[in-house]
Amino acid sequence: MNRAQKISLTMVITFLLGLFLGIILIVMRLFDLGVPKIAFLLPVCIAGSGGIISITCFKKDKGAIAFDERDKLVEKNANLAGFGAVYLYVILMSFLPIVILGGEASIPVTWCPVLLIGAGFCQAFAQSIAYLIQYGWRVKDGGE
Amino acid sequence: MAENNLSNKIRRLRFENGEMTQQQLADKVGVTRQTIIAIEAGKYAPSLPLAFRIARAFGVSVETVFEYVGKQS
Repeated sequence: MNRAQKISLTMVITFLLGLFLGIILIVMRLFDLGVPKIAFLLPVCIAGSGGIISITCFKKDKGAIAFDERDKLVEKNANLAGFGAVYLYVILMSFLPIVILGGEASIPVTWCPVLLIGAGFCQAFAQSIAYLIQYGWRVKDGGE
Repeated sequence: MAENNLSNKIRRLRFENGEMTQQQLADKVGVTRQTIIAIEAGKYAPSLPLAFRIARAFGVSVETVFEYVGKQS
């Protein structure tokens, strides 16, 4: 596994953990189980921890050559996937409130930065998935 | 990455050239070992300069290392 794969795997795991916890908290809040709003920071922090773990734990690959033409192609495709995901996210987030709340409804402006954070997570997740798909999910690489 | 229409004899050539390891070949042509693995497995089609470098590493022509197995146009 190279550095990009390790980072991607960490990002996917932490993002899914954060998402899972977030869904649990939303369900608990829907059933009035006394979940304070501040508790929603926890899944965000967990989801975001992937980036911090990646920066601190995964140092650059050893060896003379750590990045070549294939890595360049994988990176380009992953960036494209991330951009595409954000594009879809923006489209979805532009129409979803109208569909759910109706044309006459209003939403608090505090949702704007939340949507921005969501776009960041969406980009990172799609990029990580694209990296893992292109490099292959398996740790074993069949090398000698 | 998508499968390509290239077949190659890198594995055989490595063994014919003093049982060269994937890492040794990778260092010789200036790529990572993972890329050599992907090329050998037919999961990645190398660029033309890389194909030439691989062929040169074995001292043979590109056609000896790679063969196009896709449909003729």
